[in-house]
Amino acid sequence: MSEAPKSGFTRLPRNLGIRVGLLLGVTLVIAIGFVIYVLYARGVFEATQRVTLVADDAEGVSIGMDLTFSGFPIGRVTRLALAEDGKARIDIEVPRRDARWLRASTVFTLELSLVGGGKLRAYTANLQDMPLPDEAVRPVLRGDTAAEIPRLVASLRTILENVDQITTPGASLSASLENVRAITGRMAGKQGALAGILGSEDNAQKVLATIDRANALLGTLGGVSQKLDAVLANTDRRVFGEGGVMDETHKAVAQANAILAELRESLKRIDAILADAQAASGNVRAATTDLAALRAEVEASLRKVGRLIDEINRKWPFERDTQIKLP
Amino acid sequence: MALSGAFLHGLRRWGGRLRFAGVATAATLTPASYGGTTRAVTVRQIYFTASQILPWYLLFSVLLSGVIMVIVIAVTRRYGLAQYALELLLRVLVLELIPLLTALFVALRSGAAIGTEIALMRVTGEISEREAAGDDLLRREYVPRIAAAALSVMSLTVLSCAAAMLLAYVAMYGASPWGFDHYTRIVGQVFGIPTFVGFGLKCLLFGFAVAVMPISAGLEAAHGQMKSAPVSVLGGMVRLFFLLGLIEILALAAKYI
Repeated sequence: MSEAPKSGFTRLPRNLGIRVGLLLGVTLVIAIGFVIYVLYARGVFEATQRVTLVADDAEGVSIGMDLTFSGFPIGRVTRLALAEDGKARIDIEVPRRDARWLRASTVFTLELSLVGGGKLRAYTANLQDMPLPDEAVRPVLRGDTAAEIPRLVASLRTILENVDQITTPGASLSASLENVRAITGRMAGKQGALAGILGSEDNAQKVLATIDRANALLGTLGGVSQKLDAVLANTDRRVFGEGGVMDETHKAVAQANAILAELRESLKRIDAILADAQAASGNVRAATTDLAALRAEVEASLRKVGRLIDEINRKWPFERDTQIKLP
Repeated sequence: MALSGAFLHGLRRWGGRLRFAGVATAATLTPASYGGTTRAVTVRQIYFTASQILPWYLLFSVLLSGVIMVIVIAVTRRYGLAQYALELLLRVLVLELIPLLTALFVALRSGAAIGTEIALMRVTGEISEREAAGDDLLRREYVPRIAAAALSVMSLTVLSCAAAMLLAYVAMYGASPWGFDHYTRIVGQVFGIPTFVGFGLKCLLFGFAVAVMPISAGLEAAHGQMKSAPVSVLGGMVRLFFLLGLIEILALAAKYI
């Protein structure tokens, strides 16, 4: 094979050296170009700044992993180390041109999902803040889906146990539901909600009968009250009406006043007579005769007053303690 | 007794093969080995191994890569893992599959031919005669073939990997230039310094293996016994296949385990 022309199987081209040289040259150029491209891709020709993230656990983080901002990779993990205080330090190289997205207030998170590696993310709320300095050390917040699952399962189990207890045949909830069903069943019956509340149809029947009786009673009471009204009107007419008790009383009082006036006059005459008697004791006989007549008059007047009072007492039955004060 | 004898015989033969591989590789890597004749033979060997077949091999490589890329991208998109498609393609296709296929291709095309040629030279007694005449067979016959095979494997690997990477870009982003940043970042992630050095070393080992193993097998043919030629070539090609597999396994193990 080395002596191709001699073997006669293959004719060697004239520009053999050029062809092979071209092939090797192109290969070399591509290889060197690729090496430069890879160095460029790895950011060798780019000025970078370092951010060190401190995490409790670096699980899920690997060298070469991206740090993303708004879904765009802006940095790359270059080194993982365990610090003296037992915390993981994640060194990230961020190209200077992308460092403007990182500010002093930037929050870094590490999210671990079930599928795929972790995700380092940066959140900057205020892009007007001070830029993040080089060699800055920041804590990283972890969100671990896989770690959440056991906790979730534990809570879920407790909930399921509770549900199980609630739904067992002897559980209070099922007993309550039974009661509710019994009540609603009664409610659906002839006596409706009343039977549901009172427990049985008999009780509901009794309550209804009671209400009926109360209604009848109220009807009777209405009649009574009407009669009472009539009585009161009658009484009113009798007492206060024309010719009634009050009217008669008023008249009797006026009459009594007139009688008393007459009495006063009589007494005045007695006074005058007594004065006459005191002054002229000589005419005793005549005076004695007058006195007998006068006494008869006074007695007649007093009898009139006694009668009048009796009449008032008769006509005014409500006033028991009747008293006439004489002057 | 016979078993231990055969075992010792096998060990001796492997010792001889390894010694030959070491000597030949050292001579190939020594610039002083390349005299005028050696250089001319090397150029001819590279022409036959790589230049002549390059368009067809590139076409085959692009077709295979294209089919695999379309499948991988479609499947990863279906499962919502499209962000891993490019990395997967670069790692599997460019770093592993294409170099191994290239080495196997060169082994089939030139390794077998070299093995047969050396075996025939051994059977016909040409090697014994030239060695007796003081001819430096190592430099005149073996070094050019080993160097040519190694350079051919490297060259074909680099070119078909470059084609596959271009194709991966097109398969991923179409003709849009806006995927360049993302593509560059993934390339930066995949091709770390150890990966890069490992990739180069693996290609070099593949290149040496595809020539050294058939030559050492051809040298095992017996003088004057024509039937020993196919037996030694056959054994050499099987050993070459396993050696290539072993190099690949070791490279993978070193990288991922």
